[in-house]
Amino acid sequence: MANAPTTFESPVVTDYSTRPTNASSDVTLTDESSTSKILIRAGSETAAAQQLGVPFGSARQSGTVLVSGQRPSEWLILGSAEETDAFVAALDLTGHVSVVDHTHSRALFKLSGVGSKGTLEKICGLDWDDAITPDGAVVSASVAKANCDIVRFDADEPGYLLACDRSFGQYLFDAILDAGDEFGINVG
Amino acid sequence: MSASELGRLAAQSGEVIDRTSPIRFNWNGNSLTGFKGDTIASALMANGERIVSRSMKYHRPRGYMTADFWDPNGFVQVGDDPNVRSGHRLIEDGMTIEPQNVWPSLDRDIKAANGLVGRFLSAGFYYKTFIKPQKLWPAYERVLSTFAPGGKVDLDTPHRYHDKRYTHPDVVVAGGGPAGMAAAAAAAEVGANVLLVEHEHQLGGHLLWGSDADRAVAAELANRVSAAGVEVLTNTTLTGRYEDNWVGIVQRSHPLAVERLIKARAKILVVAPGLIERPYVFAGNDKPGVMLSGAVRRLVNMYGVKPGARAVVFTANAEGDAAAADLDRVGIDVARVVDARNGENVVSASGSSKSVKSVKLGDGSEVEADLLVTATGWTAPTSLLNMAGDRPVYDEGSARFYPSVTVDNVLSTGGISGDGSVDELVAHGEATGQLAAGRASVVKHRVQALTARSVPVAGPEPEWTADFRPELGRDDHPELFRSTTHGIVDFSEDVGSKDLVAAAKEGYDSVELLKRYTTATMGPAQGKLETVNTVAVLAEARGETIEQVGTTVWRPPYVPITLGGLAGRNFEPVRVSSIQPWHEANGVTPIIAGAWIRPEHYGNPADEVNNTRTNVGITDVTPLGKLDLQGPDVPKLLSQLYTNKWMKLPIGSVRYGLMCAEDGVVLDDGVTGRLGEEHYLMTTTSSGAASIWEWAENWLQTEHPEWQVHVTPVTTGYTSINVAGPKSRELVGRLVDDVDLSAEAFDYMRVRTGTVAGVENCIMWRIGFTGELSFELHVPSGYGLHVWETLMAEGADLGVKPFGLEAQRIMRLEKGHFIVGQDTDGLTQAPAVGMNALIKLDKEDFAGKAELAWAMESDQVPHVVAIQTVDPTIVPGEACQILKGTTNEIVGRITSSRMSPTLNRSVCLGQVDTAHAEAGTELTVLLRNGQRIKANVMSHHAHFDPEGERLRG
Repeated sequence: MANAPTTFESPVVTDYSTRPTNASSDVTLTDESSTSKILIRAGSETAAAQQLGVPFGSARQSGTVLVSGQRPSEWLILGSAEETDAFVAALDLTGHVSVVDHTHSRALFKLSGVGSKGTLEKICGLDWDDAITPDGAVVSASVAKANCDIVRFDADEPGYLLACDRSFGQYLFDAILDAGDEFGINVG
Repeated sequence: MSASELGRLAAQSGEVIDRTSPIRFNWNGNSLTGFKGDTIASALMANGERIVSRSMKYHRPRGYMTADFWDPNGFVQVGDDPNVRSGHRLIEDGMTIEPQNVWPSLDRDIKAANGLVGRFLSAGFYYKTFIKPQKLWPAYERVLSTFAPGGKVDLDTPHRYHDKRYTHPDVVVAGGGPAGMAAAAAAAEVGANVLLVEHEHQLGGHLLWGSDADRAVAAELANRVSAAGVEVLTNTTLTGRYEDNWVGIVQRSHPLAVERLIKARAKILVVAPGLIERPYVFAGNDKPGVMLSGAVRRLVNMYGVKPGARAVVFTANAEGDAAAADLDRVGIDVARVVDARNGENVVSASGSSKSVKSVKLGDGSEVEADLLVTATGWTAPTSLLNMAGDRPVYDEGSARFYPSVTVDNVLSTGGISGDGSVDELVAHGEATGQLAAGRASVVKHRVQALTARSVPVAGPEPEWTADFRPELGRDDHPELFRSTTHGIVDFSEDVGSKDLVAAAKEGYDSVELLKRYTTATMGPAQGKLETVNTVAVLAEARGETIEQVGTTVWRPPYVPITLGGLAGRNFEPVRVSSIQPWHEANGVTPIIAGAWIRPEHYGNPADEVNNTRTNVGITDVTPLGKLDLQGPDVPKLLSQLYTNKWMKLPIGSVRYGLMCAEDGVVLDDGVTGRLGEEHYLMTTTSSGAASIWEWAENWLQTEHPEWQVHVTPVTTGYTSINVAGPKSRELVGRLVDDVDLSAEAFDYMRVRTGTVAGVENCIMWRIGFTGELSFELHVPSGYGLHVWETLMAEGADLGVKPFGLEAQRIMRLEKGHFIVGQDTDGLTQAPAVGMNALIKLDKEDFAGKAELAWAMESDQVPHVVAIQTVDPTIVPGEACQILKGTTNEIVGRITSSRMSPTLNRSVCLGQVDTAHAEAGTELTVLLRNGQRIKANVMSHHAHFDPEGERLRG
């Protein structure tokens, strides 16, 4: 019988290892597509919705996973496979609740650094002002004409998580790199 | 006097050029030198070049009139860039600049002969002359196109980088003069996020060519702007204001992009464009050497350029007085100051084709001069205010238009609002900036309150800030538009005051009609120089006042925009499957299908068909739409969407279904399998993946919100691989050990979940589009390439080969499977495709039921039938007409056709009317070359294996 695969195949297949690194860059794009992504849909009347608790349009760290309320009654859980499995296992899934593994459906990138807002402003028409899209905000938008779910995800510096349909992954990665050129964007 | 009287002056205190940085450039074949900071205009005049272009229609020699962005005479070709505004573009090392629209040369332009017949080339000449006979228009067009103005477009010019950006500032200020800078700084100082856009290369506006004290104020304001954290974009133009303060901005100063289109959503827009000096209409007013006072002052004070040797200054205001003083200061002989405020006038300018030589005055005297400076008033560029709903009103006392309507989120300041000293303009700007910041905070509060993701607002909405700004005054100014002679009104379009008067007499006496008939105000200056004079000449012709005539409506864009600037970056999203790297590495010929890049074939589609029919083939069908359906009411949804029945589909089974729109037209088709008690997987056509998801959600959200169903698209979550051919079971069996693949345990139209090549949670269907024994594997995409490569490796001894879309299409056609959108069209109702057994009118409801009930009884619907040509070697092209006998009556068309490698003959599907749908009916097919051939309707859609023995394996 054939051997099991050893690594997750990212939609980003271009080798950027020879791309020059800009030491003074203040923006970095990282491919996080192998992150486990579990989509949970649950009506507001369900116990799962109460447990999830994160309102539409916002994201919150829950233990080791990130819970993103990306559409009404719809959450995306991000983390390692073990973490997301454990998180879902702890939910009360009674009632009209569905769980779909989106790990393979969505490409996931992290755009971080002071220049990340400027980069995003070149390819997305939303308002990234801190008051309108603060840390933890969740939006859906066209990014370089690809539909994306975006989480404002600051760590020590401003950052954004962008999830798009896997098939657009390579295209979107390159479009973000192109937009970030003027900020000296690096591949993380 | 000669053109050599032009040249470079000694260093001026306010000059913006760097005399330590010479720049060499090429003009009209000659190598010249300028300085860093020079515009093309200033550099050319410093080199003694007075004539830079020929006018559009009469090809009259033209020199600089405004020597800035708006100069109608300064359009040149720079390299392969046509229509460059030389009054604005800075020179660069090695720049090649050519005059445009001249032949054979700028000095001797044969088309200047137009001027000899100018009296016949009045407004409407082309319309009147070439309208008949209509059949000759193509010939006219060829000749007339050679007279089209403008530069040369080189179709081989490499594509350059045009960028795009979106931004949401609190306040956008259009105009970086004293009032604009003060407004921007004041708004930012109270916490607003401000974007200041300046058309020119430096902030400062008219202060830049003013006194040292003026420049000191400009520098102080610029420092204040910087300290306040205002984002400043110079050499950038706000081109249009649209609904809800959406403004378009073209930035020409981006370090990487040729141009950048900025789409800004301004909470408050402050319009501070200043004033644009107005030319005067008189005989000879377009002669080289006739310049506006602002042009002269810019050239002298900012660029250290001597614009002439001996000047007459015609002035009606302080700017004209200052121009005379500037000229005198730098040693230019000011032969005469003609003061309009004292009733003096200029009647005409005359001289050679190269320059003014004398100026005739209203008192009958004539003064020798090579430079005539006019300062006769201003145009208020109210365009951006017009776009916000304002209608400017003419003020006779100050001889210009003013805004009249208050728009809450658009404010104006500076010269457009009124006159004042520099201090008064700055004070008005500051008050405007504070007002803008106050109102922006209210708008921001509203936006924040309405945006779910935003930081929650604190407290109630602040009160809308009232406008308590001090009003600017209106200085008296004589009404000066046209002298006692006629001259050019629109320099861009070569429209004279005589043309306007004649057009008015012809009945084009409304200003909007006049504009369109004569093209006055429609050239590159877009009315900034000529609108008021046009209106004034029309008013005179009608015997009315300017106020009675009114003005034209300024619409976007404020300035012409390049197509590249409008387009911005060209985003063309493409979709690929996880197997794409393998396809590319193995000689695929790709095909574009929507946004998808798919394998069309790997060299020879016929070989791919033969191998699949003989051994085993694998194909990447990832784009196939896939919807995960969960919930207790999924069967109800399926019954609503499909025409057949779905309430009793067993777990582990797959069923084919047809979907129709409400009009009974075939919308999509595909299979749905039941994976668990309340869990299903639906497949759609590749092109229907998105629309069927929306269709399903539409039913759930609008018609049956009570149904408990979650529809989740998972199209690319699974890499889909169809393994087809007589050896497919053996090949798949080598990769799967937790599912019994035998025909008995896993027969046709069944679904199983299992592990493929070590990848868990794969879905396997026993279906296929090729007519062969097939397994459709849906593999989590993160391991799709692994499974594909394993199939290739494990099946080497079985003769496995990949096949592309073309081979798949051939095989489906051999098998007689129709494709929605190919063999059906926007009018094809379900009964046409020969699947009436799948239309269950006894169901309570389903999409299209009412229409289908009618269509099932009708004999008027066309039918999709299999067709074979009598001559098996002829493959009729798709869309070839099917005719009735020997007549030209169309009874159908070929919808799909290929040469079948399996049957070694042509095979077709087609749509024919009912009378021609019976098996055995002889058809006439009209080939594209006009030949008529015979063909027959087959008894079954399938040309190959009609009993389906192979696919059941």
